[in-house]
Amino acid sequence: MSKFIALLKREILEHKNIWRLPLVLLGIGLLVKMSLSIGNLAIDIDVPEQLQLDGAIDSALDGVIARALNSMNYLVTMVMFVVAVFYALACLYDERQDNSVLFWRSMPVSDSMTIASKLCVALLIVPLLVIVTQALLAILFFGAQSFDYLSTYYSGSLLLLGQMLLWSMLPTIAWCMFCSEVSAKSPFLLAFVTPVILILLDKLFFDGYISQTFVINRFWGVSNYTFAPLISGLIFSAVCLAGAVSKRSQRV
Amino acid sequence: MQSESQSSPFIDIHNLSKNYGSKTVLSDIDLQLNAGEIVGLIGPNGAGKSTLLKCIMGLIKFSGQVEIFGKDPFRHRTQLLENMSYVADVASLPEWMQVADLLSFMTQAHPKFSNSRALELLKGTPIGLQQPISTLSKGMKTRLHLAIIMAISTDLLVLDEPTLGLDVLVRREFQDRLISDYYSQQRSILITTHQIDEIESILTRVLFIREGRITMDFKKEELQTRYAKLLSKNNVVFSDPAMQPIYQRALPDQTEFIFENPNREELAKYGEVQAPSLEDLFVATNS
Repeated sequence: MSKFIALLKREILEHKNIWRLPLVLLGIGLLVKMSLSIGNLAIDIDVPEQLQLDGAIDSALDGVIARALNSMNYLVTMVMFVVAVFYALACLYDERQDNSVLFWRSMPVSDSMTIASKLCVALLIVPLLVIVTQALLAILFFGAQSFDYLSTYYSGSLLLLGQMLLWSMLPTIAWCMFCSEVSAKSPFLLAFVTPVILILLDKLFFDGYISQTFVINRFWGVSNYTFAPLISGLIFSAVCLAGAVSKRSQRV
Repeated sequence: MQSESQSSPFIDIHNLSKNYGSKTVLSDIDLQLNAGEIVGLIGPNGAGKSTLLKCIMGLIKFSGQVEIFGKDPFRHRTQLLENMSYVADVASLPEWMQVADLLSFMTQAHPKFSNSRALELLKGTPIGLQQPISTLSKGMKTRLHLAIIMAISTDLLVLDEPTLGLDVLVRREFQDRLISDYYSQQRSILITTHQIDEIESILTRVLFIREGRITMDFKKEELQTRYAKLLSKNNVVFSDPAMQPIYQRALPDQTEFIFENPNREELAKYGEVQAPSLEDLFVATNS
């Protein structure tokens, strides 16, 4: 257990963006809050229906502020997901680039435990930071009333967050970690150009059926979370992670 | 328990072979290494030194039998690394980390790491705990790496070219530290290096490896008892088949001969007889 904690600490120390970005977002939140009271800038992001509060709460609280906060919270989720994706792309590539993988592998820590710690950062610590940042933003915007806001907001958003993690983020992160481990030059290109090419080929020859079913729906069809894509995503993730573990165990 | 661990070798290798495709890198290696030994593995570039060490460190698959403390290093790697420390590359510490963070990582990640021991070993060096590793000089990085490895109380230490790229003062310091801060009769060190002349003084046993085979395996004393170096000012030709040099070379004003199991009294007639250095013997058997 202490080994796993040491590994998590290592990731947080090495990839500082994981905790720096939430601070930046809190700073932006502060600016928005200030603009609401002294200026007239209201950020207007197209927030998905599930993440909007119902009208009753909207009127109980200050509707303008609540909408601004909804937008902020949506921004926090999206930014942190991008952070998680870039973290996953860097986490295994960087240690090969600076040669430190040789040092890490000389410690009595298995490759699977190391990969698990990295997965845990992307899929547990980052979402946890999303929730904490959203809570802090709510306190910033609503002060004492923030509990009312958060209890209604979280009642819808946490479920959605969990679904996004399992259906969309897990396969994405696992794929990015696999690319991070196997790519010789650019994990980013491997992770994003390969699927784009495959989707194009699919569109040309199979009328886009495969990519629509397995990839696109995972990100844009979030309203219908069904069992089948969850299972296929889990299998895909397991294959990617096993590939990353096996590849890392051959690093000499 | 104590006597049992003393009688069974730390490293026990039988018929170890390793191929990369059709290229044979190691063939039929047999090697036992026991407590209290400091073994130098010496060979020309591409002889298979690093490959042999990588098999021992459990980094690569191999065919044959390799047991470290009775365990297959490739399959029980993680478990084994609690009893064996190694440095595969001294330039591999994470540059972005601060020294203090590295020590706290080690404390949590390695059950046999002693933080106080590491601090003791770092005392008297210019290495500051709050310094990022990237700001240390190459010599200091090596010093730090060695300090944290020596603060792990394992009985077997494997070092692959630990002093590569360091100047002579740092190299000498490194070897002195190895003896004073790590070595004891219960422990063993296996080391490869290009700096044969410098490492000679600390070794107890020497292995020469060439084209994937161990060509010689001898205790350091045998340099004196089994071999002799003759420096002769005369132009001698040894015609006696019982007394043939294994190597000779012309120096500006004398000729150097290396003999195995010679008649020393007879040799002394031709000139000055000395014990050959490890380097002399290495050159003699590899050219």
